[in-house]
Amino acid sequence: MELSEFVQKGVQRLADPGSFDSNAFTLLLRAAFQSLLDAQADEAVLDHPDLKHIDPVVLKHCHAAAATYILEAAKQSADKSTLSTYLEDCKFDRERIELFCTEYQNNKNSLEILLGSIGTSLPHITDVSWRLEYQIKTNQLQKMYRPAYSVTLNVENTDSQSHPEISFRCNMEQLQDLVGKLKDAAKSLERATQL
Amino acid sequence: MLLDLSEEHKEHLAFLPRVDSAVVAEFGRIAVEFLRRGANPKIYEGAARKLSVSTDTVQHGVEGLTYLLTESSKLLISELDFQDSVFVLGFSEELNKLLLQLYLDNRKEIRTILSELAPDLPSYHSLEWRLDVQLASRSLRQQIKPSVTIKLRLNQNGAHTTQVLQTDPATLVRLVQQLEQALEEMKTNHCRRVVRNVK
Repeated sequence: MELSEFVQKGVQRLADPGSFDSNAFTLLLRAAFQSLLDAQADEAVLDHPDLKHIDPVVLKHCHAAAATYILEAAKQSADKSTLSTYLEDCKFDRERIELFCTEYQNNKNSLEILLGSIGTSLPHITDVSWRLEYQIKTNQLQKMYRPAYSVTLNVENTDSQSHPEISFRCNMEQLQDLVGKLKDAAKSLERATQL
Repeated sequence: MLLDLSEEHKEHLAFLPRVDSAVVAEFGRIAVEFLRRGANPKIYEGAARKLSVSTDTVQHGVEGLTYLLTESSKLLISELDFQDSVFVLGFSEELNKLLLQLYLDNRKEIRTILSELAPDLPSYHSLEWRLDVQLASRSLRQQIKPSVTIKLRLNQNGAHTTQVLQTDPATLVRLVQQLEQALEEMKTNHCRRVVRNVK
């Protein structure tokens, strides 16, 4: 794990009971996780009365360092022993290491979901709606009498946050072809997950 | 239902009895080509020269024939109605039979062409799919994230468009479910009743 000096110094500072007593340590740690995972969180997360006695610059430094370290660990899917080893090197006492690992374990899934959702991908289909019509005539053609489908795919773009729709029409044979192919894909998926 | 032929239309068709049946058959072929691919002035010029008439006459003759065929196909009139409609033109029985045969031979294709005339929405052409598993990204290593990549080809006004999309396994199952329901709808009593009674 490559950590910058800024981050390393910040984490090491957290080990020092002189800078952070037990209570302050717990609060800061929780604040770090909260900043990462709570969409509504802002700087007020550090506005706790039990943290007021600490120099704001130090507070921000350690908060940022802790958050960065947590992200790096989650990114690499670090396990408890990796965390323990690093924190030991930073001179954390046993109690603080246990606390850190417990908080990390509790939040690991959410962190992974968060990190996994970052990145670009193709437009993502979220839903489908359809309409069945029975066509009788148009101005060009009378006595048609055939069923026609309109299908709309709801699509989400990760980056632009737009929700375009893709609509098309098809007749019964084409819809059967479409459904057949999607069923093949679903079956392959099922088989692949059983291997 | 009889066809309503305007005076101008009758005038254009009046050219047909003046040529022999092989030429009429040829004009019929040109008329259907016209529907498939649009007008080809060179053909008109060639025919006009061979028949020693003006290009306009040939063009009107073909267009008149085209209109006769498309109107008949559009309304899907019966053989009897077609014969009665053409009867007013005062053509020979041989020519009438030829025109009827042209109608019967080509009406299915003409109806197909007519049905493609006003595509408002893109229509489905084909679909290809691929299974992927994402293993890692810049922000997260050691992932196992299955997804399905889909290439959807659509036709719009003759042009092909391609959309590349992705979906997750759960949504895929839902897509299949929803669209199978759509297919099943046609077999319900309600739809069957509509199909039976709307004629």
